[in-house]
Amino acid sequence: MKITYILFLLPLLLSSCIEIIDDLSIHSDGTGTFKYSINLSSSKLKVNSILSLDSLDGKKVPDLAEIEAKITEFKNLLSQEPGISMVKTDLNTSDFILKISIDFNSISQLQSGIKSVLIRLGKEKDQYAIEEDWISWDGKTLNREIPSAVTSKVKSFEYSEMDLLKSGTYTSITRFDKPILKTSNSNCKLNPSRTASMLQVNTYDLKLNNSLIENAITLTP
Amino acid sequence: MKHTLFSVVILLSAGMFGQKSELMIPQEAVTVFSINNLDLLKKIGVDQLISYDFMNEIHQELFDGSTDNKSLKDAGIDFDQRLNIFYGKTQNMEVSGFTFGITDQAALFSVFDDFDPLPSEINGAKAYGSFFNNLVIKNNNGLLIRVEPIESYVMSMTDSIWFSRGNLSPYYQGFDQNEAFSDDELMAQDISYELLEKNYNELRDSIQYVLQHQYLSEVFRGLFQEGKSLYSLSQPFREVLVHPVAGVFYMDNERNFDRAKNLWYLKSVLPSLYLDIQELYQGNIITGDLVLGAQSIDFNITASYSEPLGSIYLEMNDAKFDKRIAKYIKEDQSAFFTYTINLEHAYNKAYEIVLPLLEKEKNIDLSMNVLTLKLANAFINKDAVFDAYKGCMFGTFNGVKKVKTRKIEFFYNEDTFEYGERETDAEEEMPIFTLGFTTGRPDVPELILEHLSTITSNFEKTPNYWVYNKAIFDAAPLYMINTDGLFILTNDEDLAKNHAEGYGKAGLSNKTLKTIKKAGSMSGFANLKAVANQFPTDFLLPEQVPLMESLRGKSGTMSLRSGKTTLQNTEISLSYGFESSEDSGKHLLDMLNTLYLLTK
Repeated sequence: MKITYILFLLPLLLSSCIEIIDDLSIHSDGTGTFKYSINLSSSKLKVNSILSLDSLDGKKVPDLAEIEAKITEFKNLLSQEPGISMVKTDLNTSDFILKISIDFNSISQLQSGIKSVLIRLGKEKDQYAIEEDWISWDGKTLNREIPSAVTSKVKSFEYSEMDLLKSGTYTSITRFDKPILKTSNSNCKLNPSRTASMLQVNTYDLKLNNSLIENAITLTP
Repeated sequence: MKHTLFSVVILLSAGMFGQKSELMIPQEAVTVFSINNLDLLKKIGVDQLISYDFMNEIHQELFDGSTDNKSLKDAGIDFDQRLNIFYGKTQNMEVSGFTFGITDQAALFSVFDDFDPLPSEINGAKAYGSFFNNLVIKNNNGLLIRVEPIESYVMSMTDSIWFSRGNLSPYYQGFDQNEAFSDDELMAQDISYELLEKNYNELRDSIQYVLQHQYLSEVFRGLFQEGKSLYSLSQPFREVLVHPVAGVFYMDNERNFDRAKNLWYLKSVLPSLYLDIQELYQGNIITGDLVLGAQSIDFNITASYSEPLGSIYLEMNDAKFDKRIAKYIKEDQSAFFTYTINLEHAYNKAYEIVLPLLEKEKNIDLSMNVLTLKLANAFINKDAVFDAYKGCMFGTFNGVKKVKTRKIEFFYNEDTFEYGERETDAEEEMPIFTLGFTTGRPDVPELILEHLSTITSNFEKTPNYWVYNKAIFDAAPLYMINTDGLFILTNDEDLAKNHAEGYGKAGLSNKTLKTIKKAGSMSGFANLKAVANQFPTDFLLPEQVPLMESLRGKSGTMSLRSGKTTLQNTEISLSYGFESSEDSGKHLLDMLNTLYLLTK
């Protein structure tokens, strides 16, 4: 689990300029594609210096081969989950960009598939946090938030690490076949055809207030 | 329960105590800081004191708000006595704490307000306990101590008992997929547990608790029953305590060697060789005096060692500083060091002393290694090897610079929110260092670099230097200057491009050069403010970060020089200069803290 956490949280922890994009497309029949990208290319020096360490804050720092193996394991396990298909991962080890793409039959299967894999990969005690729901879809309204497993970890970062989050961005994009009627988050932008929403926040602000990314998107009937 | 165990732990008798708190330092202590001039600390707040790293092990219960706005003066501490901070580690336990004199016990307990009286059977002593620590007061001397079993030992004992009871791994969820237990199997295990039987974590806590009290008992038995304290057992410690200085430092490196974990193979497979090497380390003790000046604290260190080891050091120090180095260090450099040793003499002496120890071993693998060493010694042209690296080196910290890198950034289509990638320029901060050494064979590095340049185009030769592009973390270049008997590696573009022949008049002055020449094998200088505030902590190991953090905001300079080396010891002095308006007591504690972090 430590490697899994490092994979998903190290970016938030270390980067002076990080870009994270989650891009969710949901079709009218409930199927869709979830894409997740982490871009650390502007912090190559820092990431390389961290990877050269044996440990960080008492936790072992994996080498690139271990990270690649863990990503492959994540991909293989997720591919076996019900309702999940076409799991693709791509790790660019020279620019440190990780991309994941997952096709799903329903949002609930996407969520339970990811939870199941994280729990199977994990050894840590706070797995109850992973079991919480962070997304729901009833065919009309999509509710999204950040899992508490992530927010509690980010909140535990040392003060000295906080400065590093200040210039990063987290972008959450959601696409539908039908136009969007309304969104609960006032910072959310809609495209001209109202079929896609974009919410962009600073990673440091997000650390201070994880509700910034919370959003309820309701479609036109 | 705690009281009962403690009464078992505290053993009768004693009579060993005089009137000084240093007599209560346990024999397990390996490192001791003893502050003599406590007047300096009267103004230090208790909360400020316990924020230092050297108080980390014992500060939890003090740091509960009850000490707000209280100074050490309010704590009933006797400022006519020393404050002795100690730390020790054996194969099984860690011991930390401090001893001090007491003038007012009521005032003391207004600070140490989480301690409950414990039944004690030490003659004339009162014992107190809290969740973490124990306090013993005897003859107006206090010993605050924490004894902790080593975690790995606790875990191995817990695992042993846990699995011997037929239990599955407590971390079963971490097993590989094909080894995973079914829900039925896990359920069956849960049902089979006796309610009164401890789970893994409870078992571990119990073992830790019992070991903690067992080890505390051992420490107290030695201290109070057998009369064995560090003071009674160590003559060097007794000697250093009588020095008329503000504070003293003691570190028993011989015992540090003994507990080194990476020597377990040597201990178990080649025990006689281990004993021989241990003998080499006999008497390896470092002591130091902290001398307070009006605007400085001088730390005069004496590193003592055995005569065989001393003979190697003596040969090693038979070297002259190469003044050609001076032009590559700026007079106002924020930090630099020089290191001058005679590697060839040291090698010959080490060969003479260590080889007979290895030869005595009747082990086939070791014997073959000894033969290889002998053949290498016979056939290799040692003069050529030691001429390539002549033993004089230097390093400088040149500040932090922005390094140009390339990054990938995402861009968005505002109509669709689709995104693409594009490559753009980026900048990242990087510490700038220079490292160089003298060589009598400039053709050797040139030969290596020529060869490497045929393998990769990343190596490029310019008239004044070589450059290895993207050498550092696949981003920043490394420059190599091979000139005038010096081979220099640096990521300082300015040095390589504009000062490949040295900094000229901006280089070290004759006065500084003279000081370095006098310094012996080691010399160093750091402008603390410049270094600590400039150095990016991302590039430090996690254990080094607190040290750098502790130096932040300080003004002053630190200089290091080694002095005379004899068969028995080497003298080293570390001088910390600061502005006179600043509080000396605080500086003393800052200095102690730095030493603690360096030596822990």
